[in-house]
Amino acid sequence: MWLKLIGCCLVIIAGTLTGFSLAARYNERPKQVRQLIGCITSLGSYINYVSLPLSEALIRSAGMIEGPVRDLFQQAGSFIDTSGWRSPQEAFAEALNMLENELAIHKPEREIMLLLGANLGAVDRKEQQKHLDLAKVELEKIHQEAIIARDQNVKMYRYLGVCGGLAIAILLV
Amino acid sequence: MGLDILFKIAGVGILISVIHTALKQAGKEDMAQLCTLAGFAIVLLWVVQLLGQLFTTVQGVFKLF
Repeated sequence: MWLKLIGCCLVIIAGTLTGFSLAARYNERPKQVRQLIGCITSLGSYINYVSLPLSEALIRSAGMIEGPVRDLFQQAGSFIDTSGWRSPQEAFAEALNMLENELAIHKPEREIMLLLGANLGAVDRKEQQKHLDLAKVELEKIHQEAIIARDQNVKMYRYLGVCGGLAIAILLV
Repeated sequence: MGLDILFKIAGVGILISVIHTALKQAGKEDMAQLCTLAGFAIVLLWVVQLLGQLFTTVQGVFKLF
């Protein structure tokens, strides 16, 4: 009897936690996209007005924020710094792969970052600024979509987690 | 057979209705329908077993073998 009760509690807790962690991913995505936009803006300033080398500009542009997005920029910056044979795009790709579990961003954001990486350091400042602006506009769009998706999905995943746990508990009793 | 199967069916019904509402609010009507169908199928499995028991009992009572 007690064993059953404890098992039920564990199943319900597991379901609830699954639902909440899925909801947290949706919660996290607009935040991280907003951080990406901020980092790209300050990266543009570091490129245009401070003329820092790309690796240092990447590391400094993410200095003000916390979390996986900072790790992404710092990782990419240090990849460029430590292994000069890597192109910025390869550095971004590797950093994105490394932080795949921590980052809540989806495929479109990844593609934008890779495209940006392909153009960073390859053309002159004016052109780079154009590409940074383009990436920012695209990310703004994604940010709006992510907010809509968050409003729709966060509640649903929480409900589904709790109810799914309860349903499994009832089925197994 | 006790009352527990009735409570189980009631519980599944309540949960399925909550899940249906949550999915519908999130704009996933198709998933909501699918979920209701799954709940219905599960409950139907239980009920069919009970019906089978009922029929064997009726056969036994009236000696219809």
